[in-house]
Formats: sequence, structure tokens, C-alpha cells
Amino acid sequence: MTDTADTAEGIAITVNGQAVEARTGELLIDACERNGVYIPRFCYHPRMTPVGMCRMCLVEVDTGRGAALQPSCMLTCAPDMVVETESDLTKKAQDGVLEFLLINHPLDCPICDKGGECPLQDQTMAYGPGESRFVEEKRHYEKPIPINDNVYLDRERCILCDRCTRFAKEVAGDPLIHFQGRGNGTEVNTFPDEPFASYFSGNTVQICPVGALTAKPYRFKARPWDLEEVESTATIDSVGSRIVIQSSRNKVLRYLGVDSDAVNWGWLGDRERFSFEALNSELRLTEPLIASGEGHRVTTWSAALGAAADAIAKTPASRVAAIGGARLTNEAQYVWAKLLKDVIGTDHVDAQLGDGLPADLVLGLPRATIADACRPGGTIVLCGPDPKESLGALYLRLRHAVIEDGATLIELTPRSTGLSALAAHTLHPRPGELGALARALVAGTTDDVAGVSGAAIGAAHQAIAAGGPVTVLLGRASAAESAAVVAEAAAALSNIDDVGFLSTLTRGNVHGALDMGLAPGLLPGRQRLGAGIPRGWTSVPSETGLDSTGILTAAVAGEVDALILLGADPLRDFPDRHLAEQAFDAVDTVVAVDTLPTDSVAAADIVLAAAATTEVAGTFTNLEGRLSALAQKVTPPGTARPDWIIAAELALALGGDLAIQSLDDVWTELAAMSPVHAAIDPAAAAERDGVLVTGTIDYTPVEQGELPAKDAYALRLVSVRAMYDQGSSLAASPSSAGLHREPVLALHAADFEKLGVSAGDEVSVTSARGGVTLAVQSDPGVPRGSAVMVSHLGGPDPYDLIDTTTLVTEVLVERA
Amino acid sequence: MSRLSHQNVELAQEIISRYPIKKSALIPLLHLAQEQDGYVADDAMAHIAELCDVTPAEVVGTCSFYEMFKRHPTGTYLVNVCTNISCMLLGGEELLRHVEDTLGVRHGGTTDDGAFTVEDYECIAACTEAPCLQVNYRYFPRITHDEFDELVADLRAGKRTDIPPHGTLGRVRQHIPAAKLAGVVPPDQVDGAPVWLANSEGEAANG
Amino acid sequence: MGVLDYLRGFRVTFDKLFEERVTTEYPEEKSPKPDRLHGRHVLNRYEDGMEKCIGCELCAGVCPAKCIYVRGQDNPLDEPVSPGERFGYIYEINYLRCIHCDLCVEACPTQAITETKLFEFSFTNRSDAIYTKDELLVGDDGLPQNLPWEDWRPGEDVATSAWMRATSPAGDADYVGTVGWSGELGYGVRAPEVGQFGEDPEPPAAEVDPVDEGGHH
Repeated sequence: MTDTADTAEGIAITVNGQAVEARTGELLIDACERNGVYIPRFCYHPRMTPVGMCRMCLVEVDTGRGAALQPSCMLTCAPDMVVETESDLTKKAQDGVLEFLLINHPLDCPICDKGGECPLQDQTMAYGPGESRFVEEKRHYEKPIPINDNVYLDRERCILCDRCTRFAKEVAGDPLIHFQGRGNGTEVNTFPDEPFASYFSGNTVQICPVGALTAKPYRFKARPWDLEEVESTATIDSVGSRIVIQSSRNKVLRYLGVDSDAVNWGWLGDRERFSFEALNSELRLTEPLIASGEGHRVTTWSAALGAAADAIAKTPASRVAAIGGARLTNEAQYVWAKLLKDVIGTDHVDAQLGDGLPADLVLGLPRATIADACRPGGTIVLCGPDPKESLGALYLRLRHAVIEDGATLIELTPRSTGLSALAAHTLHPRPGELGALARALVAGTTDDVAGVSGAAIGAAHQAIAAGGPVTVLLGRASAAESAAVVAEAAAALSNIDDVGFLSTLTRGNVHGALDMGLAPGLLPGRQRLGAGIPRGWTSVPSETGLDSTGILTAAVAGEVDALILLGADPLRDFPDRHLAEQAFDAVDTVVAVDTLPTDSVAAADIVLAAAATTEVAGTFTNLEGRLSALAQKVTPPGTARPDWIIAAELALALGGDLAIQSLDDVWTELAAMSPVHAAIDPAAAAERDGVLVTGTIDYTPVEQGELPAKDAYALRLVSVRAMYDQGSSLAASPSSAGLHREPVLALHAADFEKLGVSAGDEVSVTSARGGVTLAVQSDPGVPRGSAVMVSHLGGPDPYDLIDTTTLVTEVLVERA
Repeated sequence: MSRLSHQNVELAQEIISRYPIKKSALIPLLHLAQEQDGYVADDAMAHIAELCDVTPAEVVGTCSFYEMFKRHPTGTYLVNVCTNISCMLLGGEELLRHVEDTLGVRHGGTTDDGAFTVEDYECIAACTEAPCLQVNYRYFPRITHDEFDELVADLRAGKRTDIPPHGTLGRVRQHIPAAKLAGVVPPDQVDGAPVWLANSEGEAANG
Repeated sequence: MGVLDYLRGFRVTFDKLFEERVTTEYPEEKSPKPDRLHGRHVLNRYEDGMEKCIGCELCAGVCPAKCIYVRGQDNPLDEPVSPGERFGYIYEINYLRCIHCDLCVEACPTQAITETKLFEFSFTNRSDAIYTKDELLVGDDGLPQNLPWEDWRPGEDVATSAWMRATSPAGDADYVGTVGWSGELGYGVRAPEVGQFGEDPEPPAAEVDPVDEGGHH
């Protein structure tokens, strides 16, 4: 798929005697396919550079100098080409290529995971010779060797098409697999003892045209003919990659990437690809539970819902609060929002856990799509988390934009990211001073600001001032830095001409939650509280409520009695764990609606087992605001129920009726009350590229306030997240659980001398909140004066240090 | 075995500086590693990868493509006996058998003292001089069994100073004076003729 | 219409009264079964005792009654169940659904599944009708297990699925009489069925074709 695909100018060519119009710059193989003539191929992939390795796409082409066999994947259409894809010569070539490929390809199809969906098998049936004349011994290699934790390589089956190695180098940028040897001895392999450690390795399994690369989580689990599939959306992060869910016997066995032009281009990160394992986990909550002694006991739904309703009914609305909701579908979010804000009447509702951004900032700024950000010649300002660690599929799009389409990348991040090597300008401000840097960048200051040299700021300013579209990827790079700091920077960056903002909040369907009003002061449909009672509702809260930090702080002060957790685990995920723990101790009743037994579930009084993604239908809203369909493929385990039904039942138990009997009812109500959803046809969301929800709310920038003077002996903490950690979903996925790194404290080498420590030393890190002990490591990507830790790694955690009530968290580092 | 020595790293950096793209220096650096250890060790490849800003997998990809890079310890003298068609017809296979018998190893093996490695080689482009063999890529045309025995005795006795030890194929180094540098620039920054062309044209005019 | 017409109507009845009867007193008396009768399945083993099934699910895929459930698994390295990487970890046949069409036998790439001539077996509940691998696998003597609820008679367990043996692997008539299958526990390499085309009075000597050894890679 080339970027010239939409060029109007046509080129007249003849394919099998039929006049066909090709597009300018289009490859012959694409032009034929678009016009219904399929040319067999192994190495050609529309999202990668053609290489002409396999010769399967040879067709007879006459460009005026007589017909000759040419690889159609390497041939750009030219006027008056005459192409024969079914001539005797073409057929002989296809027959010969297949016979050669099968000389060394073992016929172990019955045990091969690709058997039944194998391009080599299919094309041999369709275009092959039927019989082999090769009677000699085939080539032998050791049967599958693991090239990383999740991918097996069987070199006997490899036909050297270069797809995996091209993907690794071109698309993922991790060329850790390579052709080795020569001639008959050529093989794909890694460097000895250096695994194919890529976050995107699973894609090589999907694009392998034979069974040379197979995935461990799917190994021998099923055959293609007993899989059923449905197209859906991945919910593990906010990119919302399009996927196919494949199941057998009511069990999800595999996700495959689907080529959505707007979103993921067919690629998936391994975390997305293998995340289905958590859904099949033994740990899943299958029945409602109620606190009993030290633990929980299984109870009935009526008893659990009755207990929850009793606890909520006896509590004044202003003392009920709810945290979470990013796991839910849009429909479930709407039903919960209606339950909380209409029936119960509380506005203490926040889908984010103190590690995100204010809802009105995300909904108030002009929004950009992924395609906007990746426009050829555009400028991307990264002012959020590392896409490579948090939003894998987005990372691949950005990488392509910079390398292939000439986009300019400017990083305003607290430390280097997976994209730093591609960035034209990398500026690492001191934590808390992002806003000042952003102002300097927009103004073109030549003074040093926030620890960044004036020259660097000036150079980056030139790139922005040069004109052209600018897209800011706005998110929370560090949980140890207040959202107000990011808001300050966003306000400054919004002054750039032709600027759009692409939110990089990372958690699942968090953008759906904001659209559905699961945030303080908001109602479904990007409406503010105070705009009156929406159609279909009976009441709305009278005052704007608290966000997660506010809710937990109020709880500690004894102002919250009932806390509802919608798939949220504040004890692990709220950046200030001490605050969360104190809040849990202070609250009377905690009701958790969840799929896995998290720490917060363990501490809850009432646990309502929810159905997970792939078990419920609905829609998802990704970080662009793109609505896409979620399909139900399997049934929930035990008596676990969809979240929206739990909300509807709880409303009944509370004596209210939401008047919602089905997901269609949600859309009918939403269309009536939401200005941004009114024009949306739910059927359009079912299309592969979904449909964008557009519309912003009024937004008034708030100043971040005075940053305290920096303690000369202290470092400022930066808390980031990694692709693999010990989060509850990953911990329940056997293939991914062990892939996380060991926790370390990363510092700039220059800070070592000042602190009197050397690399590998155990150091104690102390903040006003607490202290941890861990090894220290030198990292050139960390600016001087900052201390970087990765959260959720299962050991010493920055969340034990962070004080969410301050703009930045300062830590003292000493040799332990 | 080992990474590049301190001295060789300096040399490596000089070699890398001659190319607009660091990766272009892979082959000379692999020769350097082979010169250092007698073969290209895995650690040396990992070190080269660091120096050239590529992954070790890319280095091993290049290294394993070329026959002259050995990835396992190789004898001081590498004996390549050609058994392609001309040599085979004129006694190449018998010669190979004689070499194996004399040295006491099968082709592909190295003698216990680490002096000789024998290889059954594809055509070495000396068909008119068949049967032919190479010792460290030096040709021995129309060699008889007796002559080979004599050669082995001489090598063991250290009399053949004209044959340098294995791994020195790329030792002849160009120390190019600044004036003669090609003045290479990345392909996308080329404007006009290369510097060396102007230089040599000038020389031709002067000479 | 006269009395004669009335009696004429009974003519067939009277004729049949004096004919030889074809009905037998089943189950006291049982008629012999043809060689190629399709009965209860067995899962065969190689001469060394390894299972032939590799868990490829081709039988399940081809089954028109959807009565077979197979799942493969990685062969344990220290104690492999079958040759190669994969073995049949779960193998179940639901005999309430099976129509004994033998397509599973035709589809099997390793001749792991064949059919005996046993059809007399009964169950008292639905779950008992599902034979698992434990029941289907031949014993250490290579013979099908005689389960308590099955009525085996001599000969039913020997020429298991002669049809399969008579057919060459590719169904190519040129190969009739050529043994293209591997040896079996208790039998070794079995000779092909003879006299298929009436021109082959002597059973051909078993020649083992080394190309197809079952479970090959």
C-alpha cells in the first residue's frame, strides 16, 4: 500500500486481455489484486518494502520489447503494459518455483501449526506441480529452537522469504534476526545467545508464509479448521488495534492483527497479541464474593447485589465514590455513569487513577488522529509516555512516519524513549519544569530553560516555526510529576499554529470513559455538569465531584463511606500507595467489580465478578476518539456478568430503574442526550476503521502553581512504565509474566560521583512518603538531577515514594 | 574468545571513519578480528556491532556469508584443496586424501597442534594448474604428493616466511594520506564529482 | 370380485411361507461379517510401542458427524509418546454420533486410526458413549482392548480395517500391493489385502517402502 494509492491519475494496462486502470506508482501485484486478479506470492507484503526474494509472483509482462517473466512485486505499472498471469509460461514458472521451494521444505504439515492456513500449502495446491521429483534427503536442522520466550523457529520449514527479517529491521527496528550463511546453508537465526528480544516479535509469526515461526502460546493448541473467528478491537491499551479473535470450544486461543488503515496497519505488540491468556487464566473471578473473616466466600448474585445496594443506600450520595471504568465497554461505561450520577447521585467518579490527565484537558484541546500525527512532512511533539513501552502499535506508526514519510520528531520527555534515536530534537526538562520548557520552545527562547540548553530549544523551535502541521502526543510521562505540569505545557503548546493533540493516556478504554462521563464534572457525550438534566435522566449531581486523588484524600479524612471500584486497583495502580492504603482502611464498604483477583479485590467487602473483553459485545473508544466494535466470542466463566448488567441490576436493587434492557437501548438514549454521539451510526462503528467521535468542550487552562525550590542534595523522581511488568493482567498471562525487567534506579553518570555511589551499588531512595532499596544503574538517557524508576515491576516501586499532592516528588539517594 | 584489543579498537575507529555509514566498515573489521584471534570470535562480533552501531545479528549475517571468515579456531596454515572438476580429473581427490593422510585429519578438521586446517574447497580459479591447492590463500599449482610433503616439512620448520599465518589476509592496510581520501559523503548528500576524481585528474594532468 | 381374487392376493404370502428364511435369531445366532465392515475404532501403535497418533486433528476435521475431538501437545522430551514433536494428548470419539464412514481412517497420515469389525457395544448413559484415548488405544499385544460392555467375537480384532490396507496411500492403482504403511505393535508390517482385482491369487510378499514410515519429518 503506497502513499500514492489515492492519486487520481490512472495508467492503462492490460491484464489477461482485460483493460485495467492502475494508479501512479502502483506495483503490478497490487494493481492486479485490486482488479480481482490474484498473483500468488510469499515474500511480498503490502506494508513492507518489496524485495523479490521468492519469485512466486513471476508473471509474463510485455512492455513493448516482447513478453518476459518479471516479478510483479518489483514492477511499477507503466502505460500499455500487457500482463499475462495465467499463460503457460507463467504457470510453468509458478510450478517450477514451488517445486524448488518444496525441495527442502519438510512435509510435516500434519504436525505444523501453520498446516491448514499455510500460504505454501494453499499455493502448492493451487499452482504447484502435484508431485516432487526430488528423491534425495532433505536438509535437516534442529527442530524448533526458541528465538525468544514466545517464538519458535523451525529452520527446516523456512523458505527464505525475508518477511520476518524485513519486519524486524524495517518495521520494528529490532534487527536481531538475520540471514546467516550462504547458498543452501542460508538460514534465519539470531546471534548466538542473544534472543530476538522485540516487543513486536509475534508479528513475524503472523506474516511467516510457512510454519517456520510459530508462537509458543498457540503451539499445538488447535488447527485452523476448528477455530471460529470474529473481528474485534484489542483493549489492553488505548490504541485500540484491530484484531481477529479466534476461539475453539468456547476458549480464546489466538489474536491476530487486522490491517486497519487508520490504526494499526495489521501489526500488534506482543503484549496485545498474547494478552488473551489472562482471560483464560485460572485466577479469573467466576462468582460473586463477600467478605468473610480474613478472606471471601462465594455468594449468590442476589445476596452480593443486595449487600452492595444496602451499603450504598444507607450512605448519603456525597459520601459514595467510584474509581475506574477504563476496562469497560462504552455501553457499560454509560450505564455505570447513569447509575452513579443519576440513580445514586454522586459526582465523585473518576476513571483515571491519578496517573492520567484532567478530563477537560483531553476533551478540550483540538484533537488529532494517528494519521494526522503521521502526516508526511509533519512535526510530532512527544510530550507523554514512551510509546514503545506503553502503546506498541502507535510506536510502529510513529516510527514509520519519521523514517519513511519524513516527519520530524521533537521529544519533550523526562528521559530518553524508544523513539529517541529517531528524534530530530530531544529535550529532557527537569521534572516539574515541562511547562516552562514548552513556553520557551513556542517562544523560541535562546536561554537555558529547565536544564535544557538554549541552543537545543532554539533548534527545536525552528522546526516548529518552519510551519506545517504539528501534532502533540500529550500524556503523563511520569506518575511522579503532577498532571498540572502537563496541563501547563499543553496550554503553551496549544498556541502553535495548526496544532492538534493526540492523547496518550494509556489505560484501555479510558477515552471511552471520558466520553461517557466517568470523570468528575462530566456527563456522557462530552458535556459538562450544569448543562441541565439530560434527556432520559431524572437527576444529576448538584456539585462537581472529586477526582481519584481527591476521593482517596477525602476517604482518609473520613468523608467517603462507600467506594466502588470498576476494574480499578488503586492499591497497586494509584501512584501514592500509602494514600490508597489509608483510604481503604478508612472506608466502610468497598465494592469491586473486576475480572481478576487484584490487591484491591482482596481488600474489598463485596466482589462482583465481571465478564471480560471477548466475552461482551459493545464498542471501544481509542485515543483518537475513534469508536470501533468489540465482539463477543466466548461466554464468561462461571456466573460472571457483563458490567452493564451488573449496573442495571444494582440500580434495581437500589430501587431505581435505568430503563435499559439492551445495548441498543444505550445507543438510543445516547443518541438522544449526547451532542457528539447523535450523528453517529452504530453500524459505522462496526466497520474496520470505525468512526471518529468529534467535538470538544470548553477548556480554561489552569496554572500549575509555584514549583518548590530544588533541594540541592535531592534528585527529582521520574516514574515510568514498561511494556512488561507485574500488572494484574500480565501477571495472569503465562507467556508474558516473566518478561519484565528487574527494578533499578537509573541515574545520569554525572550524578554518581556527587552521590558517592557506583553502578551496581544498592542504594536507599527516600522521599517524604517512604523509602525503598534497590540497585543503581548508569543511564545516558536520564538527564542530570533526575532519578528514574519503572513502576509495577514487583519489587521496589516508585509508587511507594510518590506524593500525588505535590507537583514533583524529590528523593534522597544514599548508599544503602 | 575475545573482544578487540585496545590497539585494534583504535585501528577500528580509524577504519570506520573512512566510511560515511559505519556499517560499511563491517568487512574490514571482521578481517581485523580474524587477524587478532585467528578466527572471528562471537565476542569480537558483538564488539564490532557496538562499534558500527548495528546489532550482533547483522554482524553475524555478514560474517557467515563469506567463506574466508572462520567462526571457529583455525590452524596457522589453512590448506584448501580444490576438488572441482578440473582438479578432480587430474587427481584433486587423491591429493585431498593424501593431505588428510599426511596431516592426520579429515577435511574440515584441524591438527592437534593447531598448525593445519584442511578444507575440501570449491573451485579456486586455477583450473589450468590442476591439481591445485592453497595454503593461506597462496597457490601451489600442479602440486605432487611429494611436493606437498616437502611443503609441510618446510612449514613446520618455519622455512616458508613467504606464507604469513592464517588471518592476515586483510593485513595490508591502506594508510591513505589526507589528500588522497575519497571524501565520501552519505549517498543522499552527494553533489558533484567525488574528491578523488578531481585529485586523480590533477595527477594525470601533472604526470 | 370373487373368492379367487381374494386368495390371489395371498399368493406372495404363500410363496414366501415355503422359501428358505434369511432372518436369523439374533443375538443367539450371528451372521458372519464382511472383511471390510466398519466398526469400533482403534488407535494403533508402532512396533516399538510408540503411539502412531500425532494429534494432527485431520480425522476430526474430515469427520462429517463431528464426533471426534483431538488435541495435540508437545511430546515430552524424556518420555516421548509418539515419534516427532507432537502427540495426540486428547483423543475422543462420540459413538452416539459416529456413522462409521471411515473417512477418519482415510485422512490419517500415519495410519494411527483404523476400524475393527466390532459394532456390538452399548451404553447406559451419554457420557459412556464417548470413548477416550485410554479405551481406543491398542494394548501391549497390539490387540484392541476388550471392554466389559463390548461383545467381541473371534476375528473381529485382527484384520482391522482391511479397506485401508488395500488402498495405496495416494489412492493410485499403480501402487496396489505395495506396502506403504509402517509396522504395527503385535503384527509387524501387515500384508496388503489380496485378490482385490481377482488377478492376484497369491498374497504378495510384504515389501516395506522406506519412503513412508509414518510420523516422518
